[in-house]
Amino acid sequence: MKKRYGLIIDLERCTGCRACTVACKVENNMDSGTGIKIETIGGAKQDTPGGAYPDLNMHFLPVACMHCDQPPCRDACPTEAILKRPDGIVLIDEERCNGCQECLPACPYQAVIYDPAQALARKCHLCFERIDQGFEPFCVLCCGYGAMFFGDLGDPNSHISQLLAQRTSYVLKPELATGPAIHYFPPKAPRQP
Amino acid sequence: MAERPIKTEPGGKAVRTASPFACGPACGLLAHVKGDVLVRVEPGDFPGTGHICARGLAYPKLVYHPERLKYPMKRQGSRGEGKWQRVSWDEALDTIAARFREISSTYGPSSLAWVMDLMGILTVDALLEFIGACQGTFVLPAGCGDSAGPCADRVCYGSPWWYGEDYTTRFDKPALCVVWGNNPADTDFFKWRNIRDAKENGAKLVVIDPRFSTTASKADVYVPIKPGIDTALALAMMNVILDRGLHDISFICDHTVGPFLVRSDNGMFVREKDFVSGGSEKYVVWDSRSDMPKCYDASNVSPALVGSYRAGVVDCKPAFQLLRELVAQYPPDRASEITGVPADAIARLAVAYANTRPAASYRGMGCQRTFHGDITFHAINTLAAITGNISFEGHATFELNHVAFLSRGVPNLLPLMQLYEAIRIDKPYPVRALWIARHNPVNQDPNFNKMINELIPRLEFIVVADMFMTTSAQYADLVLPVCSFFECTDLISPVGNGSHNYLQLQQKVIEPLYESRSDIQIIASLAEKMGMEGFLKESPEELIKILLASGHPSMDGVTLEKLKETPMLPAAQSLPHFATPSGRLEFYTEKLKGFGQELPVYLEPLEGPSTPAAQRYPLSLLTTHTKYRTHSMFANVAWLREMDHEPALEMNSADANPRSIMDGDLIRVYNDRGEVRLRAKVHQGIRPGVVNICQGWSPGDYFTGTHQALTHDTINPVQQAIYEPNASLYDVRVEVEKVKEA
Repeated sequence: MKKRYGLIIDLERCTGCRACTVACKVENNMDSGTGIKIETIGGAKQDTPGGAYPDLNMHFLPVACMHCDQPPCRDACPTEAILKRPDGIVLIDEERCNGCQECLPACPYQAVIYDPAQALARKCHLCFERIDQGFEPFCVLCCGYGAMFFGDLGDPNSHISQLLAQRTSYVLKPELATGPAIHYFPPKAPRQP
Repeated sequence: MAERPIKTEPGGKAVRTASPFACGPACGLLAHVKGDVLVRVEPGDFPGTGHICARGLAYPKLVYHPERLKYPMKRQGSRGEGKWQRVSWDEALDTIAARFREISSTYGPSSLAWVMDLMGILTVDALLEFIGACQGTFVLPAGCGDSAGPCADRVCYGSPWWYGEDYTTRFDKPALCVVWGNNPADTDFFKWRNIRDAKENGAKLVVIDPRFSTTASKADVYVPIKPGIDTALALAMMNVILDRGLHDISFICDHTVGPFLVRSDNGMFVREKDFVSGGSEKYVVWDSRSDMPKCYDASNVSPALVGSYRAGVVDCKPAFQLLRELVAQYPPDRASEITGVPADAIARLAVAYANTRPAASYRGMGCQRTFHGDITFHAINTLAAITGNISFEGHATFELNHVAFLSRGVPNLLPLMQLYEAIRIDKPYPVRALWIARHNPVNQDPNFNKMINELIPRLEFIVVADMFMTTSAQYADLVLPVCSFFECTDLISPVGNGSHNYLQLQQKVIEPLYESRSDIQIIASLAEKMGMEGFLKESPEELIKILLASGHPSMDGVTLEKLKETPMLPAAQSLPHFATPSGRLEFYTEKLKGFGQELPVYLEPLEGPSTPAAQRYPLSLLTTHTKYRTHSMFANVAWLREMDHEPALEMNSADANPRSIMDGDLIRVYNDRGEVRLRAKVHQGIRPGVVNICQGWSPGDYFTGTHQALTHDTINPVQQAIYEPNASLYDVRVEVEKVKEA
């Protein structure tokens, strides 16, 4: 059975606390930027709701590299620095990356960032070094509200596959057929005013 | 507890420790150390689930922050000028010892005062031992925004703790969670996890808040109330509940003072001796079977809850009848005008609260930061009492051996908000020397301009022991570098704040950096300089063993060795019986009759909507907590600042538009006390008429001024009489105007 590592993020549980964002900085030593950012779904500005007072709605959307089946960033890279491992993890080979940033606009999720300190493109690599040693990604470990689930989507018996089978979920921009490995459990329906 | 595999670096180790900081929950942490370097922090094992927040993960950035204070420094030039001279610890301690002796002999020992925030239990006890030995003054810190509601918990429940939150929240499976003026999803992990679990078990969540917080975004019902008006909402809910007969008569009769007769002439409870010569002090009820007054504990008594009676020559009514008369004045339509909450929403909420049981009430510090914030908790407690939504499922507390640290004398106690008058007019103590430890009063306590212009100049000597050159340290005469909590050992417990009750060890994982020392080390070496014999000679671990050896059953099996591996909980036990004068839940209290607040009457905030302040300054200012900072901590950490990079005034477009203010504009927020300049953050998530600054920023973060220049230090004498007066930080009116940028 082919391995396909991925995540489920439960948006009803997520409070936008940014523990994942800082955990990513810790694990990857990123002084500016992060491999997982929190978007506010609601108002135009961070941490603000949409609607008109008091009929308001807001939730948070953690966005990281989707570890796509067909990664557009890989196709855009002129130096073939972006690789897809057999287990599905999409990686930037820092030896090969020349910092040209052509992958940044190619990602439909804006999940690749440029690190000026190292002159490299960087993004979530699903903590592959931890995974290879049998640990979960650091952001998943640090999510205190249990909103993140890591596992093998390729194994129908894995906890994460079972969860996906039980609940409604979605991926971002399915119309692009990128085949994301991050699935979302939606927030509950907006309140009735 | 399930063991989880821990990934450590080659040559590194992971040590369980705990955070003592003032966000409240005392999270357990796993500190990864390599050599003598703290390399990272992750969640420590904790029953249920571990937790860490964005701030906790950034701790190493605080520990190795380039701006950490590295050695003692003496002020050069005038206070606040920012000129410092490095001195040795010896010189610093000699200076302190000499100045303390001088000030103590001139003004008396109570003129030496210590103000500090939550710290490890051992640090607090060690400081108390020192202050006791000096006969100095210990400033109680809760009044910095967190002591009004707890006053009501003392009155209603006789709560032995700072905060009686367990009585209204500790249900096994609450079916309804009502959150009053609180945003635990952002600010209190353990509380939110309890609510989240209840939600996932099917409970509905109601959030009452002027601001649409993260917690509100998770609610089934959002109640958009005006700030500081929650008492009127609770009274209106009681109005609906009593009107429809949804109250819990047996709970009221068995556990509250509801049936006790109250004398119409003086408002005191009727005692048997009032109508029987030679009668007892026992409380009296009207027995509806015999139509006679009887002692409440007489056999076969059937107490009346309503009506007017005459016991002997005394006219009287049951306390519940008096409550009924009070709430009758607050039908939902009237309360709607006061609170801004639609009348039908009030009625629906009231019915749901009475009928969905158990209903937990999470009472946040937000709803009690107005002048009458104690009555807000009193009203919510009363609402919970008449519907039987009171929990007796408490937890035990650890009884530590604090006595061992008070053998040299007992300090004078001074509530924080009374420190202002102590410094200004010497009442009740002529405070002239102030030692500030891990607190930042100049930044975090109200009325900045008064503090700078009237209080600081009256202080003859200010010592600040901190990790950073805080706003307060900038006004010190001497600053002492304190190590971080990773650099010293202590004992941590967040008793009584409604989150959890685990006892945890804060283990030293690295040596103190630079010349920094722990608060305990500083006190021990100062004691030596001041000629105190044998003071704190033991190691922190030995001192903790003394603390653990109280001999109380709650400490059975609790050892230092076990605490090194895991947090510990005492065996669960029922909450203590109400430690009130009547032994019952006192929603009617004799103690406050003299203030006219024996019942939870609605009183307008000091700067409420119909006050003169509101005519000149139409907007209510809140200064809420945020997930990006813990008070003023972490504001200097780049990782967090990247996500919240500058102060902003949140305001609704309904207030911004008439003032021609656009999102991002530079604005001036002002009132008679002062002003602050910052950018506007215009959005829909805050009630029109209300503005908010997420606090923790320092004057240097603003264009000019500071938000504390807008707040005031007016003390409520009722709170002072009960427990500690509170800073009414959310009882503040301001006006906002756009500033032209050059």
